[in-house]
Amino acid sequence: MKPDSAEHQEFEQLALPLFDSLYNFARWLSKDKTEAEDLVQETFAKALRGFSSFAPGTDFRAWMFRILRNTFLTSRTGLQTKLTVQLDVEEEGPVTTTWDTPETLAIASATREALQQAIESLPVSYREVVLLCDVEEMKYAEIAEVLSVPIGTVMSRLARGRKLLREALSAERALTARSKVNDRR
Amino acid sequence: MSCTEWQSRVDAYVDGELAPDEAQAFRAHAAHCPDCASVALAQTEAKNAIRRAGQRYEPSSELRARVLAGMRASTQRRGVTVLEPSRPKSLSWPPWPLAAAAVILLAAGLFFFDGRNQRSNSLEELADLHVTNLASSTPVEVVSSDRHTVKPWFQGRIPFTFDLPDLQGTPFILIGGRVTYFHQEPGAHLIFAYQRHMISAFVFRDTPQLSIAKTSFSDRATSFNLQTWTHDGLRYVLVSDVNAAALQQLASLLQRH
Repeated sequence: MKPDSAEHQEFEQLALPLFDSLYNFARWLSKDKTEAEDLVQETFAKALRGFSSFAPGTDFRAWMFRILRNTFLTSRTGLQTKLTVQLDVEEEGPVTTTWDTPETLAIASATREALQQAIESLPVSYREVVLLCDVEEMKYAEIAEVLSVPIGTVMSRLARGRKLLREALSAERALTARSKVNDRR
Repeated sequence: MSCTEWQSRVDAYVDGELAPDEAQAFRAHAAHCPDCASVALAQTEAKNAIRRAGQRYEPSSELRARVLAGMRASTQRRGVTVLEPSRPKSLSWPPWPLAAAAVILLAAGLFFFDGRNQRSNSLEELADLHVTNLASSTPVEVVSSDRHTVKPWFQGRIPFTFDLPDLQGTPFILIGGRVTYFHQEPGAHLIFAYQRHMISAFVFRDTPQLSIAKTSFSDRATSFNLQTWTHDGLRYVLVSDVNAAALQQLASLLQRH
């Protein structure tokens, strides 16, 4: 019985520091408070049950995020999202980025609220990559493990996700600028 | 390396994914190339802005307590003590007398009500269909929460038509539908979401082969609830792991139509 109890304590020691990050990520994925709470609770329960299958020395954080994400994908919202993405043509090819100055600066100069809105409106496959890279500051290899995709896919989704953010925010800026001009008239 | 090539690697540079010598080479280039330097700076600032914006939600202390309690309870259920001294094992045994009573009742039911077995088998098959369809890679062939999209989609795919109610303001959400087969009969398989559960609604032409006579059924072994009724020569069957009351609510919404 001792090993199980020790195992539980080891799990808590490893997993609890990730609690806040996992919740934040769950909320971004599901866009719903109750659902995010359920997701986190289910993730911790599943991870504890499967902790004996976790290989020590491998990336525990990636393992937890992967469980959370898989739990999300089988949830109602996740299932809906996955199906929608499947219907869309998912572009996976290399992204050619042109660096026009106003667009390049769009993210850095956006307000926090506008940026949050833009992230929220990203399709989930881009949203999750951008969040894992920039908020969780995961390495590409770690993200690849969470999403169970090749590193090349991580890189192209990341480039496209950031590009979509830049486009959305610079389009919004142009729109606000135009409406200000109209107001003045 | 040209500026275009450098700039294609600016993401990797900002994310700290370039090898040390590559990163060094990029810095050396940017030191005398204002274009590349400004792109790298903007991307670094963008990354910081996304990090700040992305740290948005904090869990409640109530959730933390709930998750901790849930984990500790599950470890205790496995016969392990984390916080409290071990309990006598007999407390966690299943209630045998109740199980025995259920077995006797079931046996009596099979003996007295001829045909019941076959009928519940039909329903069990539908419960299986519910599980296998949901587990397939394409649980729904038409994805829409709009009944005016889902209903016409079935035209020409199944040999009958049926009506769908407006679910606005109810806890149910239409997810979509697919064509399914049951006893060689084509039918509609509609999927609804209720909280985090899925409910299947099967619609078939009511034929004797379906051999369903009961109106509701709970499968204790699989914890599925079923509701069924006929309307206008069509047989409706709801299958889900939601509670019987929720299933009844959806049934009456569908029946009202």
